Amino acid sequence: MHGDELPLFFYSDLFIKHPQVRELFPVSMATQRGHFVDALVKIVSRADSVNDLTAFLQGLGRDHRKFGAVTEHYGAVGSSLLATLEHFSGPAWTPELAADWKEAYELIASVMTEAATADEQLQPAWWRGTVVASERRAFDICVLFVRPEPRLDYLPGQSVAIETPSRPKLWRYFSMANAPRPDGLLEFHIRLIDGGAVSMALTSDTIVDTEVRLGPPVGVLTLSQPLSSQDLLLVAGSTGLAPLKAILDQVTALPQPPKVHLFFGARTADGLYDLDSLEKMAAQHPWLTVTPAVSADPRFNGETGSLPDVVARHGDWSGHEAYLAGPTEMVQEAARRLISADMVNDHIHIEDFGWSEP
Amino acid sequence: MTTVQFDATWLGGEGRLTPEDLQTVTFPVSRLGRRGYEEEPVRAFLRVVHGEFVRLVNERASLWQEVQRLRRRILAGEAGGDSQSVLFGEQDAHVHAVRILSTAQVTADRYVADAQAYSSRVTEEARLRRDEIVRQAQQHSDMILEDAHARAREAAVSALNDPAPPQTDREQRAAQAELAYLRTYSDVYRSHLRAYTEGILRGIDEWERKEAASFTEGASAQQVAPGQEGASAQGAIPGHVNNHHRSIGP
Repeated sequence: MHGDELPLFFYSDLFIKHPQVRELFPVSMATQRGHFVDALVKIVSRADSVNDLTAFLQGLGRDHRKFGAVTEHYGAVGSSLLATLEHFSGPAWTPELAADWKEAYELIASVMTEAATADEQLQPAWWRGTVVASERRAFDICVLFVRPEPRLDYLPGQSVAIETPSRPKLWRYFSMANAPRPDGLLEFHIRLIDGGAVSMALTSDTIVDTEVRLGPPVGVLTLSQPLSSQDLLLVAGSTGLAPLKAILDQVTALPQPPKVHLFFGARTADGLYDLDSLEKMAAQHPWLTVTPAVSADPRFNGETGSLPDVVARHGDWSGHEAYLAGPTEMVQEAARRLISADMVNDHIHIEDFGWSEP
Repeated sequence: MTTVQFDATWLGGEGRLTPEDLQTVTFPVSRLGRRGYEEEPVRAFLRVVHGEFVRLVNERASLWQEVQRLRRRILAGEAGGDSQSVLFGEQDAHVHAVRILSTAQVTADRYVADAQAYSSRVTEEARLRRDEIVRQAQQHSDMILEDAHARAREAAVSALNDPAPPQTDREQRAAQAELAYLRTYSDVYRSHLRAYTEGILRGIDEWERKEAASFTEGASAQQVAPGQEGASAQGAIPGHVNNHHRSIGP
């Protein structure tokens, strides 16, 4: 392999031969080249496990709909891929090799386009979403309300990729913070990431009334048995609260809600941006306990320390279904602590964006 | 932006280090009490390495293409073909165009990465300064409350000790003490608050002045940060004055 040179050549070749394809991609291609190589590596490494590979390619094909990829693009990509391989193989490139690659690529493309075509019958490639309101809850956290068109249905705990007009072709995943509502409105909790292009656009004051694009709902952080009587442990770090609040919203509507204990952690007290509404809910529902925790402010009038520590201090969670969301390190540490406290792995649910993590 | 945590398996492993890895790598924070490198010099060094790395990768890419071109030329020469037409043939023109577009793309990528790194640095600095301002405001408010409380307590004690007419019952004396406490507390508190608010207003004037000056000078690196600090410093003060529990003297 030639590191970055191979995808660089591939995309340049593609864009010179088919200039109209360029506009499907963001300005900076650095991340894109990485994705391209990752996908190739995954395809090659799964080549002997047909089921795995097929599922991966089907997902890839469906996911590419929101980027605006259509069947005609697949031919263009194939010919540039062959040209790239030929260029880098030099004299080792033979007509037989070319024929093999062509056949393999056509197989890959057919699995992807078939999945994309089947998906067209089920849902749009993307939804138009109008940002109807933005509430600044902390200096770096905003709660957005978005009205999708047409209606977007999903499971509480799932996420959608969002693209803003000021950052074209950059899609980032955000979880809905409410269960589907009759009026279809979606709530998102956005934290400004240092240097994060999309989060910066979404937390900007000018986001209200803009039209964003929403990809189809994805994610597995959903109630495994919606009507199960098992008690729930919800552990939310910062805006990881969003998917868990959606689950809470879903539980609230059950005729006989299970006992729910929600831990909501942040670095400082002003990072507990949604505590008021959670405490109101807890006052209303005897089955709900909310425990706020702050990790970097000893003055905080409540639980202090890292969220996994605080959760562990609250004792025995066996017999609970645990849902964890937040910064990756916090989630992994919390999961590790729960497992070492005899909680069964199957009862711990964390978000997994799989290959398409932005 | 995806960040990659540094992993020792990179070194000598099969995976190749790319310039983008250098820009996105993070290192675990050293444990409390142990000494680590200053973060900024490490980042500055990584930026230099990244620039050099990109240069080398590009140089290598063009050399590789040059080799390919010359190899084809030799092969064509050996085959007895017209080496000139191979040298400037359609295929070469295309590869040349691909190379130009690749260079342009890498340049664009670098601009975006630089802008992103810059915005990241500015936000990070603003966040740190905000934390510092909030911390100072908290300290200051603690001090104000402590001072107001101490002086009010003194006033209450002296009201209690006043030689009072014999018919004054305990309740009245207690009420007087309470009154003295509250009066002094609110006096002290008010004057502190006034001084502090004036300080903040001066800060805002200063900020406005600097911003206006920097606009006239043209683009400046300083303008972006203060917006968040001003807003949060104001928000931080009232939250803490209410937490104080007054306790009255003897």
